[in-house]
Amino acid sequence: MRPYFEKMPAFGKALKENRIARTQDSRARLEAIEAEIAAAKKAQEEVGIPTAKINERGGLTVWQRLEYLVDPGTWQPLHSLYNPADNEEGTTNVVDGLGKIGGRWAVIIGFDNKVLAGAWIAGQPDNILRVTNLAKRLHIPLVWLVNCSGVKLPDQEKFYADRRGSGAPFFRHAELEQAGIPVLAGIYGTNPAGGGYQAISPTILIAHKDANIAVGGVGIVSGMAPQGGFDVAGLEQLIAVTRNMKDKPPGSVSTHYDATGFFTRVYDEEKGVLDGIKEYMGMIPAYDPKFFRVAEPAEPQLAPGELYNLLPINQKSDYSFDDILARLVDGSEHMEFRPGYGPEVYTGLVKIDGMLVGAIGNRQGLLPKGYPEYADYPGIGGKLYRQGLIKMNEFVTHCARDRVPVIWFQDTTGIDVGDIAEKAELLGIGQSLVYSIQQADIPMMLVVLRKGSAAAHYIMGGPTANRQNAFTLGTAATEIYVMHGETAAVASYSRRAIKDKDSGKPLEPLAQKMNEMAQKYFDTSRPAYCARYGFVDEIVELKSLRAYLKAFAGASYQNPKSICPRHQMLLPRIIKG
Amino acid sequence: MADVLAPLAGKVWEVLVEVGAKVEEDDELLVIEALKMENTVYSPSAGKVKEILVKKGDSVEDEQLLIVLE
Repeated sequence: MRPYFEKMPAFGKALKENRIARTQDSRARLEAIEAEIAAAKKAQEEVGIPTAKINERGGLTVWQRLEYLVDPGTWQPLHSLYNPADNEEGTTNVVDGLGKIGGRWAVIIGFDNKVLAGAWIAGQPDNILRVTNLAKRLHIPLVWLVNCSGVKLPDQEKFYADRRGSGAPFFRHAELEQAGIPVLAGIYGTNPAGGGYQAISPTILIAHKDANIAVGGVGIVSGMAPQGGFDVAGLEQLIAVTRNMKDKPPGSVSTHYDATGFFTRVYDEEKGVLDGIKEYMGMIPAYDPKFFRVAEPAEPQLAPGELYNLLPINQKSDYSFDDILARLVDGSEHMEFRPGYGPEVYTGLVKIDGMLVGAIGNRQGLLPKGYPEYADYPGIGGKLYRQGLIKMNEFVTHCARDRVPVIWFQDTTGIDVGDIAEKAELLGIGQSLVYSIQQADIPMMLVVLRKGSAAAHYIMGGPTANRQNAFTLGTAATEIYVMHGETAAVASYSRRAIKDKDSGKPLEPLAQKMNEMAQKYFDTSRPAYCARYGFVDEIVELKSLRAYLKAFAGASYQNPKSICPRHQMLLPRIIKG
Repeated sequence: MADVLAPLAGKVWEVLVEVGAKVEEDDELLVIEALKMENTVYSPSAGKVKEILVKKGDSVEDEQLLIVLE
């Protein structure tokens, strides 16, 4: 299949001087938002006890552990700003992302031991759910840096119980293991109760000499028997018991290495634990990337830095999606699937780091005259019509057959509406796409380049509507909402406007209300909001997007559950004709 | 000679060239606001802007002559 893949047709146009000049303001605004996000991430890294203090105590922070563990230049953080429960700590208290360990991709997550000694706090179970789902979808190892003091007791009602509560990771680890996905744990510090199960549920447990894991810690053991309240005498008794327990916390190395043997290894040095993880990573099955490469890896011919001149922050401005994609993929080469059909959508095969990936994205701007063919009105990019929906269904199905992972790029205002569109079956074909994706069982990721809106956000590989989405990225231009705020205000208040007008009421208060609603939509759809509440898994700088695509491709092909020999693929033949 | 026609009805949002300007194929000539979007109209060929028949804010019909290139 070398003739198909070694040198694909080039695509994408060089940036014109007048576009560079025209887009200076847009570029500056994108970079300003990226700078704000970067500052917020930096602040997030520094919450809690200062690093120097942790180091003085003889320990490393989770960030220092990650730096030692992860191959340089491969860390692609996720959920950096995720804080859906608005915790005062400003974090879910876990740090996670994709990274290579000894040349192999892993999903890596660690408790932030600078904050409440790595306690369970609100929002954390959902963060962990995303991470376990990620390992499951990509079929790659999950690596934990366990350092968890257990429940933040004053807030337990927010996360202890419930279907998606803090206990969920234990069965999710079992689920991963049953699917053949190993979970490695490096264990530090005191890990009682919930922390104990965080430590015991992985596959291989590698402990630091001072680590302990237990069903219950000192606090629970000494407070086991409620006596109807507290008084001074009771406290005296409690102090005596606790002092005694502190001398020998339950579940130390002498128990769980020497007696139970739960710990596979114990290291005197913190870094030794990480060396142990590295060694175990080397024992886990992983294909050499060359096995699946269809060509030598190559950087894009067109400069990724020009993305800032191509993606307008003004949501009403059009642009060429093909020019953007050409700056993200190997050699700026592709094989487009059905180029003359469904012109509002791009579908095609591209290479990322030498590996074959399917790409799907919304095209912008005016569509050819006469399209959509079922209507007497003009078509506009960003919207989805009958042919585009059918084309995406076909492409996803072919990618699934050929076991090619898919990357979606969204900038969509929605699916065409109205009775003409209904007669053209768009409701049914849109749901068919959800079915096709769900049936595909291949890894997918999504980049919300700009707008993610209406049902189109769901059906175009959105995390809400399928189990194949490994993770979703946003950019500085991302906005996600059910519809534009002004559209929503009109939908909500147009009848009220008529009533107020007919009854002689002044219209200013209603106009004010509608403006407030539009502003709320604006505020709750910006990149930082999308990241905080998990609409996306990370906001990524445009210049860093390709690194995430490479991580996705590399991870997807590291140990796939199912493979298709390249000479038995159909999609390249269908494209060639 | 090449005529640049409005691809759809709308309002001229921005004119990006001046009379006498040299343009390449696919250069951005003007922007028409329609269907809630700002739609760029590109040069169909290389040439020189001979005449601009519209200005910012004008309403234009589908296929109305906007710019003449020579």
